[in-house]
Amino acid sequence: MLEVKNLSCGYGREKVVKDVSFTLPERGRLAVLGPNGCGKTTLLRGMTGFLPAEGAVTLDGADLLKMSPRERGRAVAELPQASAAWFAYTVMETVLMGRYAHLKPGLFSAPTRADREIAEDAIRRLGLWEERDRPLTRLSGGQLQRVLLARAFAQTPRVILLDEPTNHLDLKYQVELVRELKGWCAQPGHAALGVFHDLDLALNFADLVLLMEGGGAVYFGPADALPPQELSRVFGLDVPAYMRRSRARWERIGG
Amino acid sequence: MTDIPSARPAARCRKMAWRWILLAVFAGASLLLAVGAGSVPIPPLKLLSALFGAGEDNTRELVVGLRLPRVALAFLTGAALAVGGTVMQSVLENPLASPFGLGVSAGAGLGATAVLVTGLSAGTLGAVLLPAAGFAGAMVTVLLVLALARALDRRVSTVTVVLIGMVASLFFSAVMDLMAAMSPEYAQRIGLWQMGSFASRGWRGPAVLAPVLAVCLGVFLSRSGQLDLLTFGDEQARSMGTEPRKNRRFLILAVAVLTGAAVSFSGIIGFVDLIAPHVARRLFGASHRRTLPAGALLGGSFMVLCDLAARTLCAPREIPIGAVTALLGAPFFLWIFFAGRERQ
Repeated sequence: MLEVKNLSCGYGREKVVKDVSFTLPERGRLAVLGPNGCGKTTLLRGMTGFLPAEGAVTLDGADLLKMSPRERGRAVAELPQASAAWFAYTVMETVLMGRYAHLKPGLFSAPTRADREIAEDAIRRLGLWEERDRPLTRLSGGQLQRVLLARAFAQTPRVILLDEPTNHLDLKYQVELVRELKGWCAQPGHAALGVFHDLDLALNFADLVLLMEGGGAVYFGPADALPPQELSRVFGLDVPAYMRRSRARWERIGG
Repeated sequence: MTDIPSARPAARCRKMAWRWILLAVFAGASLLLAVGAGSVPIPPLKLLSALFGAGEDNTRELVVGLRLPRVALAFLTGAALAVGGTVMQSVLENPLASPFGLGVSAGAGLGATAVLVTGLSAGTLGAVLLPAAGFAGAMVTVLLVLALARALDRRVSTVTVVLIGMVASLFFSAVMDLMAAMSPEYAQRIGLWQMGSFASRGWRGPAVLAPVLAVCLGVFLSRSGQLDLLTFGDEQARSMGTEPRKNRRFLILAVAVLTGAAVSFSGIIGFVDLIAPHVARRLFGASHRRTLPAGALLGGSFMVLCDLAARTLCAPREIPIGAVTALLGAPFFLWIFFAGRERQ
């Protein structure tokens, strides 16, 4: 469904991401993994054209890099890291902004009743109905992140891109967020791609993995077939051994 | 930073409607009060009849010829600065930004001062040149600040823009001081300018400022959805289907036009562009569909009341309007800022 071919991009003349290719099928959930500075976030920015990029990014054959902002907004939504909100929009107003790309183009265009219903559905789906009139500035980090996910859902895109969405979130919210995303991806015509820091969470989310090192892809394939020696080499740590020790610790605590 | 509780929608709508009614009454009352009060107080009934073209000739002359244009200029200036401030805060994703802080006001002031000291401000030519120089000064400042910000920081982060704006603001004020020192015959007028004044200038100011404000407000309202998106920053705004960089440039230039026009008639007046948007957001929520008109009414009324204080408190002498807005505005701003912070 989403095809990235020989994508290179970076800041200025310096290429941070070099010649990365992969395909994300319908209902696919891809985790982009790699150590700090390997170009994960830059890859996302290049895929949406936020940074100038060489190569091709196509969604069902349509060139993502050549789409108008509105077309792109209807095809792809992004879930950013929620840190804090500066302006006191209510939850409902914020989620309704996800409909912007679907509004009739032109001045003074306003959301229709149908837009409102889609936004309300997204709000209910993420359990935010009671909070719908509260301003963003008074929400917790976990609630804010859920509002932004509701906004991404209300955008009714085909692909959702996530950039370390679970940073600064409590474990409970991380797990909930991944569950919601997996539910969304299970619907026909949907797929998601996320940059993750936490390997455990990444493997909970993904069925596909793109492992990056120094701006290039060193592995792309099913998450189950991720070669442990490559993972350990890229991260400079015996990852499976670390996970085993971690598991042993939890078994001791759990009795 | 808002006071809207999680009420049921219907109750919330009613509450909002009441706030609009109160705001309209407040704006109307401050206008009438400002026209009526002064060295010769005019009682309300006489005032109304003068406004509708009846009553004694002297009263009508005082009201329509002197007080009304001054009050109108104050209101329009306050409204223009408030609208400019609202948009500036949104496009820079920073609730503490303002045209004043970005150096736009100082740049407009410098442009107008340049016309003043070259002696070109007299006559009909001056009527056009003064606001035009104000626009030009504001535009050049904005372009300069953004170009410098881009040269220093590829991603043009808001912190860089605000810092460079501050530097530009201080620098242009210094150049204005220098001009004042070098041409003593204009020093007093330039000095007045730096603190702002609405002293009688007839209907010329309101006649130019009103259409500029109307057009700019219309442009901003027509893009209120886009402005809402821009407050979330470039990446999010873009992911929701807008083109932030292009739109931001256009919006900032429009703010420069508006601020340039306001500053060229009345001088540099701070704080209104910072406070009015804050209060508007508190009372009516963050959505630009409401913040823009509410901010305009609040900024206009606030400016009218400040001007009333400026001309009556030490009568027959006038306090510079910029001093009044700063005296009232600075503590008020700290209060909103900390009150908002405490509750988070």
